[in-house]
Amino acid sequence: MKDEPKMDNVATPKKTHGMLKPKRPTLSQRNDASPEKNEQKLAIRLEDFNAYYGEFQAIKNINLDIMARQVTAFIGPSGCGKSTLLKWINRMNDIVPSAWAKGSIRMGDLEILKKQTDVVSLRRRVGMVFQKPNPFPKSIFDNVAFGPRLHFKIGKQDLAALVEWSLRKAAVWDEVKDRLHKSALGLSGGQQQRLCIARAIATGPEVLLMDEPCSALDPASTARVEDLVYELREQYTIVMVTHNMQQASRCSDRTAFFFEGEIVEEGETEQLFTRPKHQKTEDYVSGKFG
Amino acid sequence: MSSSSVSETGGPNFVRPNFPVKSSARSHRNQAIMVSLLIGCALVTLGTTVGIIYMLIKESMGFFAGDDINLWEFLTGTKWSVGRTQGKFDYGIWPLLSGTLRITAIAMILALPLGLVTAIYLSEYAPKSVRAILKPTLEILAGIPTVVLGFFAVKFITPNLLAPLGEFKTFNATAAGIAVGILCIPLVASLAEDALRAVPRTLREGAYGLGSTKLETTLKVIVPAALSGIISAFLLAVARAIGETMVVALAAGSSPTFTMDPRGPSQTMTGFIVHTFQSESVVPGTPGYYSIYAVAALLFLITFGITLIGQIVRMRYREEYN
Amino acid sequence: MANDYYSNPKKESGRKLKSNVFAMVCLVISSLAVVILITLLATIFISGGSWLNWEFLSGVHKEDNPEGSGIGQAVLGSALICLLCASVAIPIGIGTAIFLEEFQPRNKILRSLHGLVQLNISNLAGVPSIVYGILGLTTFVYLFNLVPSIQVNKPIPWEVGATHFYQTKTLGRTFVKFPAGDREETSIKLTQNEMCVDADGNTFELKLVDKRSEAPKDPELKKGYALRGRSASRLTERSPWYFHLPLGKSLLSAALTLALVILPIVIISSQEAIRAVPRSIREAAFGMGATRWQVVRKTVLPAATPGIMTGAILSMSRAIGEAAPVLAVMGGVLGTTSGIKSLMDQTPVLPVTIYRWAGDENAGFENASSAAIIVLLGVLLIMNSIAILLRNRYEKKLS
Ligand SMILES: Nc1ncnc2c1ncn2[C@@H]1O[C@H](COP(=O)(O)OP(=O)(O)OP(=O)(O)O)[C@@H](O)[C@H]1O
Ligand SMILES: [Mg+2]
Repeated sequence: MKDEPKMDNVATPKKTHGMLKPKRPTLSQRNDASPEKNEQKLAIRLEDFNAYYGEFQAIKNINLDIMARQVTAFIGPSGCGKSTLLKWINRMNDIVPSAWAKGSIRMGDLEILKKQTDVVSLRRRVGMVFQKPNPFPKSIFDNVAFGPRLHFKIGKQDLAALVEWSLRKAAVWDEVKDRLHKSALGLSGGQQQRLCIARAIATGPEVLLMDEPCSALDPASTARVEDLVYELREQYTIVMVTHNMQQASRCSDRTAFFFEGEIVEEGETEQLFTRPKHQKTEDYVSGKFG
Repeated sequence: MSSSSVSETGGPNFVRPNFPVKSSARSHRNQAIMVSLLIGCALVTLGTTVGIIYMLIKESMGFFAGDDINLWEFLTGTKWSVGRTQGKFDYGIWPLLSGTLRITAIAMILALPLGLVTAIYLSEYAPKSVRAILKPTLEILAGIPTVVLGFFAVKFITPNLLAPLGEFKTFNATAAGIAVGILCIPLVASLAEDALRAVPRTLREGAYGLGSTKLETTLKVIVPAALSGIISAFLLAVARAIGETMVVALAAGSSPTFTMDPRGPSQTMTGFIVHTFQSESVVPGTPGYYSIYAVAALLFLITFGITLIGQIVRMRYREEYN
Repeated sequence: MANDYYSNPKKESGRKLKSNVFAMVCLVISSLAVVILITLLATIFISGGSWLNWEFLSGVHKEDNPEGSGIGQAVLGSALICLLCASVAIPIGIGTAIFLEEFQPRNKILRSLHGLVQLNISNLAGVPSIVYGILGLTTFVYLFNLVPSIQVNKPIPWEVGATHFYQTKTLGRTFVKFPAGDREETSIKLTQNEMCVDADGNTFELKLVDKRSEAPKDPELKKGYALRGRSASRLTERSPWYFHLPLGKSLLSAALTLALVILPIVIISSQEAIRAVPRSIREAAFGMGATRWQVVRKTVLPAATPGIMTGAILSMSRAIGEAAPVLAVMGGVLGTTSGIKSLMDQTPVLPVTIYRWAGDENAGFENASSAAIIVLLGVLLIMNSIAILLRNRYEKKLS
């Protein structure tokens, strides 16, 4: 039973509503508090990356470093290619027949774009959370157990412990622990989205891709998910697409601003929002267009 | 990191245990096996079509290879006595074909207007309560085996509906045509209703907004807009009527006649095939055996052609609105 | 009736009246369907309702004796053929639907295969069922005449599960049989001693004698002797898995033919059920690293099951009511003396029985036919109710 999650580490859960929580420390405060965080490790490197749908070029020659254990936010007007890029990072675009790409996306030693890359293990390492909560029409337990059953040799007890761990980590355990074997479709939208996050982290990914995870949620649920993202960055590399400037500035460490398939500006969130280098960025973050 | 240690998520030290990863090779292999199985399944339907066409061509050629038999005579002749006379026989298709056309025409006179009006009523007018009766009725009617409708034609339509009207024979084209029409009504109604419902709301609202009554909106806006769908419904119903077998086998009689008279017996192409099978005189190699294939080839050609046109028209209208 | 609020007030009343009259006319015409259905059911119940009893349900067809005839064999035959047909058509149909909906290939050849199959299916759904019957006759019954067809008193080209014996009578008036070996004649003359099996299953050597007097007098011992030159007739014992090629006029041929008839329906309804599963569910599974097949197997199929089942049951009810293909493949069998022993046997089915009885010159069969129709409609009603119940139950479970 050495694989059992260490449940004794769990501090007494305290019901905190996102809105009521004290303001989070900013990135610089956080870095001060834990100096080792300052040595940023590279998680994913994109080089000369181009993506197409048939003839149409959705992404033009992007170079970008995504740092480990940080939240990177993608912002930009609709149709500028944020989702496209995100979906290439775990090759979700494979299911779009017309999609193809050039260039390089490297994660450690792995060249993601290579044809031989095993998408099954890639997607185990790079999880994805979608815009609309999309739980399977199965029980809550089966939803979270879906990934582990696919990827791991895992016994019944371990699986139950892992499901609990994932649900706790995603901050929905308290709300669902009494109805684990009821349909996941009975949950509220916000609960469903956190369930989807639990489902994504159950496979133990290194990177978590989130495509507008809060756009279908009400403000209270949004705050909870934001809290969660904030928590999860301690262990995961998170890339998040958002249309909400406040959200980007609240929960991301770095931000990339996309415009018409190109990255206009990329940098630390604080700097990008307060002292943007480009006029376009300034116009966008101040809400002049988009 | 005080804020996270009090959180219900357990903080950074609450780490996920690791489990041995399954090799993905197995999943990929299973996938490959399944894909080939699925392709195999899909090939069955192709095989069916190829089988039908190959069979019809090959065996019909057996028919036309016989002495004194030529295709022209088959397609234009007005006498049919295959399997009825010893030695020489007539093999002009028109008695059978005209039987099919007579019955189809009668069926369509009944089914097209009735089906269309029912469709219009269902899609534009029917209140929930009426719909709750009408829809299941149509579904049940559509699910009634055709042999039952054949029985109905012989035992009810002819003696009770037709006999008072004139000199109808026991087996006649009209009764069969009415029964075939009955089984086409649900088909026309449901396909046409689909087409009417596919007309976008905006069109309807536009018409009402201009002050049209419901009648005007329906007849001048919605029906024309759904026309290609309605036509395709009609075509599919015609193909269905031409291919209908058991009703005509029971109710239309077994003598091939080349007339316009709807009161007398009229064997159809499908009826001929069934009657020949039933007589159990189908011995491979005889003209009687081969003639089944020649008739079936023509039947297939006609129904396949009409269905194909119907499908193409249907795809058109689906594209229009989707 | 809905009102038109925006009409021109001048003409309003007249136009409104027209519209309402039209609505009434529509209603009257539409209700014709209800009238037809009621008339049909009434006709059949009046003519056949009183014939329904246990003897009728369990009996067999008797020539010229409608009162004594029954539909026991036909019901059994219909059920068996329907099950066989479903077990072939449903897996293939679902497989094809999955291939069409979930595996859109990038490969050019496969992609054209895709389009072709799709177009082909909607056309196959419009092919008259009698044409399928002829196809079944040619492929299953005669196997395209690639092998000699099955004829009475001729050995079957290829078979398994059958043991051939010759049966003869001993001097002790008992019947014994011995293996046929290579002999193919329908009847042979005894020329040598044979290892025989008697009715009790004992094996012994049958000794031949030229005259009755040469055999022992004891009736028990006489059972071991037979006259030389006595004829023995061929006897075939078939196991339940007896099988031969070509399939001949058998219930297996009929079931396979019906499977082809309903295949397009199964495919189309399964496709609709699969299409109704939201895209987002598939994306979620892909995003977790499931292969395409796993996505189908673990998310799409479970979600689509109620729809698929409903379609499958409805297509089975179509198969149960089909008469034409069965007539073509099996002939118009009304009854068999030995019942169903293997898939190679012929059997009557309900729709064919209805057809034959309805066309019988003996008017009494008309009532028997109606009674059989009531049973058939009852079966269809039950199947459709099951389909609806299933669908409702799954829908509840999922939401
Ligand atoms: N499957 C597809 N086929 C063809 N073109 C596509 C496809 N998906 C996206 N595109 C095009 O690619 C471009 C980028 O789309 P993408 O979805 O990445 O935008 P986005 O930045 O995520 O927009 P949004 O903020 O609205 O989600 C758009 O112009 C879009 O029309
Ligand atoms: Mg997007």
